[in-house]
Amino acid sequence: MTPAIQTYELTKVYRARWRRREIRAVDGVSLRVERGTTFGLLGPNGAGKTTFVKLLLSVVHPTRGRAEIFGRDARIPEARRPVGYLPENHRFPGYLTGAAMLDFFGALSGMPARDRKRRIPELLERVGLAQWADVRLKKYSKGMLQRLGLAQALLHSPSLLILDEPSDGVDPVGRIQIREILRELENQGVTIFLNSHMLSEVELFCREVAILHRGRVALTGPVRELTAGRGYKLTAAAPPEGLIDELRAKAASCAASNGFVEFLFPDREVLNEAIDRLRAHRCPIESIVRTTSTLEQVFVRTLEGRGEDG
Amino acid sequence: MNGNRAAGITAALVRDTFREAFARKIFLGFYGLSTLLILFFLFLLKIDVVEGARATVTLFGQTSGRLRDVEALVRGFQAGVATFLYTWGMALAVFASAGLIPTVLEAGRIDLLISKPVRRAHLLLGRYLGNLLVVALNVGYVVFGVWAILGWKTGVWRTEFLSAILTTTFIFAVLLSVIVLVSVLFESPAVSVMTVFGMMLLSPILAQTRLMERLLPSEWSRDLWKALYYVFPKVYDVGRMTLELVNGRAAGSLMPLWTSALFTLAILGAGLWLFARRDY
Repeated sequence: MTPAIQTYELTKVYRARWRRREIRAVDGVSLRVERGTTFGLLGPNGAGKTTFVKLLLSVVHPTRGRAEIFGRDARIPEARRPVGYLPENHRFPGYLTGAAMLDFFGALSGMPARDRKRRIPELLERVGLAQWADVRLKKYSKGMLQRLGLAQALLHSPSLLILDEPSDGVDPVGRIQIREILRELENQGVTIFLNSHMLSEVELFCREVAILHRGRVALTGPVRELTAGRGYKLTAAAPPEGLIDELRAKAASCAASNGFVEFLFPDREVLNEAIDRLRAHRCPIESIVRTTSTLEQVFVRTLEGRGEDG
Repeated sequence: MNGNRAAGITAALVRDTFREAFARKIFLGFYGLSTLLILFFLFLLKIDVVEGARATVTLFGQTSGRLRDVEALVRGFQAGVATFLYTWGMALAVFASAGLIPTVLEAGRIDLLISKPVRRAHLLLGRYLGNLLVVALNVGYVVFGVWAILGWKTGVWRTEFLSAILTTTFIFAVLLSVIVLVSVLFESPAVSVMTVFGMMLLSPILAQTRLMERLLPSEWSRDLWKALYYVFPKVYDVGRMTLELVNGRAAGSLMPLWTSALFTLAILGAGLWLFARRDY
């Protein structure tokens, strides 16, 4: 089955008009986003995330490489038909009311008038803006505009949803509401591509992530794999001094407090050796816990590694 | 894209332009001024037809004692309105419309528009058409209104005057294509207005081809003048043509119309080409 998004060596180079300086905003990015998944694109500011999204939607033209949406060249307008998009820093026309704005963008998405008439009240209700339908957008708060933007992206029931910083300016309750909507869509098989700098949001919601750094993919994979299996934490009660020194040499870290000593072992083999040595000394083991990393730790480690390389 | 869908998208783009024109009070300004002009003919100008084909005119309560030919009188008023519309009305229309194209090119608005399954050319042409209709409807409102009032007051129904709707709208379409190109290039209403006003001022100067043939010393400079005259839109010539038509005379050569139409196609084509290639 063709993936929802596939890019091949996608590159965007910006050139300063009067100087010869080049900025490689996106540099040879090849990504594959399977249908029905929830995919998070991460990266520090200026990593090229928004440019990558704009390349997918043909808002920006690639210098090299290409992008496909459901197997069709992203430059063809029809390829964007199954896509719902919420841009970062959107500027919806303030003279439109919420309902009129949805009607306008629904028409541009190719929705017949009768479908728009049915869907608009439904979606306004879903994002909690039903009472604001006939109010001009210049009266809306940032969070309300964001929720309306999401309704706009969902209006034509897209199979692929591309969201650029969807929680920006939204209060915690609104964020939970957005997450619930997205979870519902995920269950319906909609592919969700999330571009966000909010790592906790991505970790909570996405199944797969890619980390962009200086326009390149620094790391990609399933969130569960990236955050799992970093080691084992063993807590032992008062082991003898000589044994502590012996195990400290094998451990990644060692810390003592209140008569207990915590060892962090990098893998299972070293852990089992340590258990054998502790049991041989009849030393009680308080607990053994498999440790995981947060996505934030993975992100920081990845960027640090790339920084050292680069 | 099927025809119905394309028509639906065009209608949405036109409707959006109208909404923005309403919100920016462009409609209020246009129709307010136009209504004032119509009211002037309705209430302040009194024409008393005597002896069948002759009439006296009363303006602001002051009656001119002279009897005038009714048809000539109506023709004169209509020519005055057509000239006013073609010059001051056009300047006002350019000034008011110059902002309607660059606003859709603003970051945060244009990226969402482009992300929709619509060709970029379609987006820009929809806006162009909407803008053109805003002005065309207003021109139609003034001309038709004045025509109806003068006809009702005098019984002279000169349909020649209605041709001013077509020629004035045509020249606005020409100038609007320049606004489109300049907006795509610079995204600035001010630069658009300056460029269009520059062209409007340049047109009567370039139209002096016979005079320049006598004044310019070299063959190449005369050829250059002629080339510029043929290339640039003929705002002045079409204006003269409008006056001839309104006065019931033959329009003369159609060259100003078709060269200006070609100019519009070329400029609009360049605007669409650039728009399709730009990154937003």
